Amino acid sequence: MPLSSQRHVRRVKLTLVPHILLFTLTIAAISTLCIAPVALALAAWSWRAGAKGMFVDAIAALPLVLPPTAVGFVLLEILSRRSPLGALLERIGIEVLFTPKAVVVACAVMSFPLMFTAFRVAIETSDRRYFDVARTLGASPVRAFARVTLPLAWRGLLSGILLAFCRALGEFGATILIAGNIPGRTQTLALAIYDRVQNGTEREAAVLVACVVGMAWVLVAISSVLIAQQRRRFAA
Amino acid sequence: MIEIDVRLPLAHFTLNVRCSLSANVTALVGRSGSGKTSLVESIAGLRRARGRIIIDDIPLLDSDHGIDLPPERRSVGYVPQDAALFPHLRVAENIRFGGNDRERFDSLVAALELEPLLDRAPASLSGGEKQRVALARALMTQPRLLLLDEPLASIDQPLRERILLYLRRVRDLGIPMIYVTHQPFEALALSSWCVVLHDGSVAAEGPSRTVLADPAVAGSVENVFEVSDPHHDPDLGITRVTTSEGLTLVLPYEQVADARFPLVVRISADDIVVFGERPSSISSRNVFEGTVASLRSSEGIVDLTVMPGPLSVRITRAAAEDLRLVQGASIWLALRSRAFRIVG
Repeated sequence: MPLSSQRHVRRVKLTLVPHILLFTLTIAAISTLCIAPVALALAAWSWRAGAKGMFVDAIAALPLVLPPTAVGFVLLEILSRRSPLGALLERIGIEVLFTPKAVVVACAVMSFPLMFTAFRVAIETSDRRYFDVARTLGASPVRAFARVTLPLAWRGLLSGILLAFCRALGEFGATILIAGNIPGRTQTLALAIYDRVQNGTEREAAVLVACVVGMAWVLVAISSVLIAQQRRRFAA
Repeated sequence: MIEIDVRLPLAHFTLNVRCSLSANVTALVGRSGSGKTSLVESIAGLRRARGRIIIDDIPLLDSDHGIDLPPERRSVGYVPQDAALFPHLRVAENIRFGGNDRERFDSLVAALELEPLLDRAPASLSGGEKQRVALARALMTQPRLLLLDEPLASIDQPLRERILLYLRRVRDLGIPMIYVTHQPFEALALSSWCVVLHDGSVAAEGPSRTVLADPAVAGSVENVFEVSDPHHDPDLGITRVTTSEGLTLVLPYEQVADARFPLVVRISADDIVVFGERPSSISSRNVFEGTVASLRSSEGIVDLTVMPGPLSVRITRAAAEDLRLVQGASIWLALRSRAFRIVG
């Protein structure tokens, strides 16, 4: 291939970077928004349940310790036409596998444990006495939680959201199994880096890596500051 | 009338308390770890005890009939030891958390003198101010019963005096109170009935002055007086006051010059001197004639209950034998002014 043509191809591929970046950020944001209410409800339940909650804690943490490909395989089985859920989705005309929806599902499942664990710790450190006192003042458990526990735990909760968002940005193993690596359709930043390395275009891979490292570093730094503030606030 | 019959397994023993309380203020006395806080938390519904808790015929807990009202439906005000004000809400918002009744808010703010604090954050308040705000917040719910868990613990003397004044105002509102303390003199200052807990069980129960006169229960024996009607004499360095029982006491002027009355003062039973006949010349400003109502002797110590008062006096057995003290004997007592301590 003449040199001028190679330059043209490289320029074209680099112009895809903003698109991949935007797609990855959108997917990470949607998946984070989807799991936040579930993680909050489950963390609140587990907190109130005490010892019984440990069972839920263990299940919620599973995707954190399993190989992402194992999680991807389970998701593939659950969402395939052979499973009752997959069959039901097909009947009502919802296609999930190898679509952007599958990317959201993979990111959501893989980032859920981080968010849940961060929420659990944030709620735990907010001092249960305030919740108890609020109830003696006539507040129902939901109102006491919403008006007292949540405002006291907001730093830890926000930190959990940021961590989950970062995890979603970098999700790879489960995504490639259930969403594939389709450029312009399901290809996220992590998949694009893999793609560029496979194709020998390391310079483009480096640009993408720089993007993801920059974003993750800022977000994790903010998260660490929030966690430290939360700890300091209740240490006394 | 409050009927309590609860069982709650704790780390080192099972809380097993059965008592009926009809007094306006009941003191729950006991050493640290005796189960006081666990009992009030059970009454507030914050611990899942079994048994029965009934306030004015309304069951809050009746395990036999499957009744266990959640805290928000018990109408029991609870002021924990450290006040537990919500740190993210200002004082006014903390108080309104208990209810939105504007009139009640205004009257509580006035009674507890909270107006200057309303816009402050809880973190900027002193221990005594936090207790007052927590008290107002609990009272906003119009509780059937108020539980106070050691409100004077970790509060210094001048503030303690003010808090006790406010607690007496709350007592005068007529809301039944259970007041947790490990200081017998605090119990005597506020309560007319006393329940003593030991390792989760009721060790003694009865009128505060009777129960807390027992050194085995109280550890040291204190005489507590609510005094009012001060007549200051700065030149002589004394202030004459009248106790609620009608006794006239002389207190050191400089200790009470700035105090708010009515004031609660205490004197240890060890600080009262007994004479067989009227002392003719003595520095003590408080000299009374009395009659020995009862004597209790143990291990070289004799505890006397003297009327009028009643006053608790503790002397050695040698002194009691020397004075030939028997029940009904007439004696004279001297109470040093400077031996009085201000409770609040």
